Amino acid sequence: MLHNRIIQFFILYFSGLTMLFGIKYSIGLSDYVIPSIIDIVDTSNRIWPVYIRAVIESMIIAIMGHVLSIILACIIGILGSMHSFVGTFIKAGAYQIQAYPVVAIAPIIFILMGDGLIPRLLITSMICYFPLLLTFVGVFTEPVPDIEHYYNVTNTLSWKLEIKIRAYEHQKKILTVIEGSATLAMVGTIVAEFLSAESGIGYQISIALSQSDMAKVLIALFLIGFSISIYLTVLAWGMRRKNVGSNF
Amino acid sequence: MYLQCKDISCSYNKQHQVFNHITFEIPVPGFHALFGESGVGKSTLAKIMSGLMIPDKGTIINQSGSSQIIYTTNQERFPGWQTIQMHYDSIFPKNTLDQWQHMMHIFGIDNCLHSKFHQLSLGQKNRVNLIRYLLQNHSALIMDESLANVDESMREKIILYIKTQFPEKIFIYISHHVREICKFCDQIVVLRSVGHSPQALQLTGQNLYNNTIDSEKLKENMLEIVHAT
Repeated sequence: MLHNRIIQFFILYFSGLTMLFGIKYSIGLSDYVIPSIIDIVDTSNRIWPVYIRAVIESMIIAIMGHVLSIILACIIGILGSMHSFVGTFIKAGAYQIQAYPVVAIAPIIFILMGDGLIPRLLITSMICYFPLLLTFVGVFTEPVPDIEHYYNVTNTLSWKLEIKIRAYEHQKKILTVIEGSATLAMVGTIVAEFLSAESGIGYQISIALSQSDMAKVLIALFLIGFSISIYLTVLAWGMRRKNVGSNF
Repeated sequence: MYLQCKDISCSYNKQHQVFNHITFEIPVPGFHALFGESGVGKSTLAKIMSGLMIPDKGTIINQSGSSQIIYTTNQERFPGWQTIQMHYDSIFPKNTLDQWQHMMHIFGIDNCLHSKFHQLSLGQKNRVNLIRYLLQNHSALIMDESLANVDESMREKIILYIKTQFPEKIFIYISHHVREICKFCDQIVVLRSVGHSPQALQLTGQNLYNNTIDSEKLKENMLEIVHAT
């Protein structure tokens, strides 16, 4: 179970690679278009320290962005669940903002804030927070009548208790979307780095693209996929533990 | 103190009529019953009486002042992260500790204190739920199948305890146990389907405070209720 994701990733990655080599050798493409296995091994020997450092940096930003987006979605979810004008306004505003593609907004963020941690973090969290927001708003606005009834009839249901009851009762839903949005966090980081950063694995891919060096791209993809699989495995393990702990 | 339902009419989606000019009155505090066949609208009427639903027509008159009519059902749960003790500690003032611990003992559930709600049996769940309502400040408590899945002797023990400990309050007990209702309840409101006139019949039960029964009288009473439905 623990290694399922990593095994799945290896199967997927090497299937893709096999398909690529299949195309290369069946229609006789040159090593310039699709590099040979020897080229890929040579390139990886040359660049692995830089790429590993870059992927670790991107991973750290992805995790930070993920945490930030969870906090952001949780706050907006709580505010949006309020039955007031403010709540409705915030909910509508959050949906409207998300209607714009983040990739289109990203240049504005880079122009205003320059390169660095904050804009990358911001773009990462913007990309992965929407599914989280939808879930949080849904969960926090969905009553649990069989528990809340007592507090309602005795007029003792505070908003904090209401949120706690609903979050607890829908924890499986919340944990699933947190797990699902982790991949989006890494996607967001890479997009941000690809667009304008000067470090990270997304930046390395943009350089490889400008050099038309597919070997580098394939190595970067391997490292990205492998690191995401590890993050998801750790996340799923942590959540399973939390879930088991809360039920027994 | 009395509680009156006056000319209550109610329908679902303005098409399917459930109540047609229902009127009855609970004139004194005590242990009363709302009885009727399944689906006749007992829970709906209870919700209307406690203000959880608004009828199309009619009024509920509660002459007990500011304290409210509370409705409880056997469908309720406690928050999943709390044990029974944690929950009671969070909802009751500290000076009621002896009272709720004594009630747990009387209700035969003192061994449930450190369990979570989902770990209890159905009967235990209903009893721990009932305790938290009994200790509220209310003028009337509507108990919708609150003692379901509790064995007969324990049910009788609990009903007698409620009758002796809270004589100043109104309890309206919704149950399908005809014998129990006849034995312990004072006023019995028999609710009938919408075609009957009147839709709510009011009968008088034995209103016992102990287990001494006059079998003949009880039998007559039970027949009266069964015929009324």
